[in-house]
Amino acid sequence: MVKQLKVKNTLGLHARPATMIAKILQKSRSHVSLTYKKETVDARSIMGILMLAVKKNSWITLTVEGEDAEEMIEQLTSVFESAFGEKPL
Amino acid sequence: MKPDEEEEIHFKGAPVSEGIAIGVPVFISPPKEEQIPEFPISTGQVEVEIERYRRALSSSREDLKKLQFHLAEEGSSDVVSIIDAHIQMLDDPLMTTHMEKKIREMLQNTESVFKTVLTDYEKRFLQTPDAFFRQRFDDVKDLSQRVLRNLAPHDRFHLNDLPPNSIVFAKELVPSDTASIQATRVSAVVTQQGGGMSHAALIARAKGIPYVASIDVEAMQNARGKCVIVDGLTGDIIINPSSDTLAKYENLRNRLTNQYQQLEKDRTLISETVDGFKINLFANINNINDIDLVHHHSSSGIGLFRSEYLFLHEKQLLFNEDLQTQVYEKLFQKAQDLPFVVRLMDMGGDKTHELFPDFQDEPNPVLGCRGIRLLMRYKDVLRTQLRSILRAGLKGNVKILIPLVSDIQELREVKNILRTIEADFKSRGIPYKENIPVGCMLEVPSVVMVCDTIAQECDFLALGTNDLVQYTLGIDRNNPSMSDYYYPIHPSIVRMIKMTLLEAKKYQKPITICGEIASNPLFTALLIGLGIQKVSCAPRFIPIIKRTIRRTYLADARQIADHVLTLKTSEEITQYLLSKLDS
Repeated sequence: MVKQLKVKNTLGLHARPATMIAKILQKSRSHVSLTYKKETVDARSIMGILMLAVKKNSWITLTVEGEDAEEMIEQLTSVFESAFGEKPL
Repeated sequence: MKPDEEEEIHFKGAPVSEGIAIGVPVFISPPKEEQIPEFPISTGQVEVEIERYRRALSSSREDLKKLQFHLAEEGSSDVVSIIDAHIQMLDDPLMTTHMEKKIREMLQNTESVFKTVLTDYEKRFLQTPDAFFRQRFDDVKDLSQRVLRNLAPHDRFHLNDLPPNSIVFAKELVPSDTASIQATRVSAVVTQQGGGMSHAALIARAKGIPYVASIDVEAMQNARGKCVIVDGLTGDIIINPSSDTLAKYENLRNRLTNQYQQLEKDRTLISETVDGFKINLFANINNINDIDLVHHHSSSGIGLFRSEYLFLHEKQLLFNEDLQTQVYEKLFQKAQDLPFVVRLMDMGGDKTHELFPDFQDEPNPVLGCRGIRLLMRYKDVLRTQLRSILRAGLKGNVKILIPLVSDIQELREVKNILRTIEADFKSRGIPYKENIPVGCMLEVPSVVMVCDTIAQECDFLALGTNDLVQYTLGIDRNNPSMSDYYYPIHPSIVRMIKMTLLEAKKYQKPITICGEIASNPLFTALLIGLGIQKVSCAPRFIPIIKRTIRRTYLADARQIADHVLTLKTSEEITQYLLSKLDS
């Protein structure tokens, strides 16, 4: 399953959002990756996500393969939508 | 500025731990990169190397968990979330599977493989045009240094071997370094990295060692000073001080020492007002060693033992009744016959714990499953703790305190469980202490408003003002952007304290106050005037609070309290109390 997600939080995908993503995926067995500007990383890798250097208002591609793909897409969409709980500066 | 014979050089850093030190600079360099060993390994050694790497990761994880726990106690959510990211990064596939694959492929020792892999990551980070993301590599670097240290834990210098009166300069100090520092030899610590909320800072403050951070250590080293002054209150560092400067600081240091010695002399004196009104001064403690300080300051007892600290280092204790009983026995015996209030495990909120994973990701943890609420979800943990306290209770003068009560039902439930346990002990002939007093923490406004009903059903009360302020004002005290709105005192809190004291008196239940208000001499007279007779604070604040009590007249204190009750803002209260302190 593939979905496009928009990064809404001010600072982009820095350590804290990447940590939230990794924590959500701890419970999952699916293979999950994020693609940005033709580079693809394991979504469980905080360092990998940081290396993508995704800024605010960018679109990234989420790819999930596995039994709980739908649920994972739903949960990840919701944290992206909530701007990872960050208040606007 | 008049020219001086000796060139006096001033530096300004970030003050971290108070105090003045004058001493000899000692520069400590971190293990150099060249020292990282590099040698080939045979295929047979691969698994041994991988195992060694995994152990280093797991030691790093434990270090970080401990650090995070201590920081949560100090209340710094920002740093806690950074540490959280570091902990998660230890599970990062780039750190785990990728590294192990590289060890297998490269057939080199772990350290050199680790270095190669990280250099590769660094290159990728530095390719990013965005400065913000390039700086994120600092976190990776910080973490990797930790892992490297855990790969070669014995290669560290020993801070025990320093000459007396050393002032330690280092790029950074890891917690274990700071922990091994002896105040008798090291007069002060100066670092480039680290700051007020670092683990090193907490330890320095606990040991009373002056500490200044954010200093360019290399520039210091180039200055080649023979004598250096460190002022941990202002962050000033002076190399090669002129004789005038030296005299000024020696004076200042002696004044501080005198003050300290004066306080030390008071340690056997009773804590009472000038007119002989006795105030019991108790200690908040986290571990068994703190009990020495309780005796040293002839404190009235342990007003708050934060029992969650027991489970931080020894997880097996949580479910092991016999072991837990032994631990309490040791604690109670050491306290001799002094009253010993055990606060039941207070986890959750900003104190997360891997044993309760369900509650690590709450959207609003301060309003979530913490304190007694968490124990109600994990009844086995609660029962084990209560059973152990009851059994060990035979060795001391123990009381049980329930954290974060928000409804009387929680008190009733704990008492019910206690009755069941007692019945079970009786039927099996297991010896235990009967009728241990049970008290409630008053730190949620709901129970303050109904404290008359709470007072009727429990044996004692404890006002926890830190949480009470946060819940009453609706301010998250760990949210840095809200710090302008957070006051340790507020007219509403003064009225709440007054109200609970009246009810406690009416039902003849002892009440203790703990929290920031209890440890700040600014508020001591106010509390006495309101009618507080039992104060509990960290052992290091006992001398100053005792001195303040011994300089207060009860009649004055009552007038102060009456006046404060008429004031309308926190600012007015603070200003008024400051004016009273000076007079």
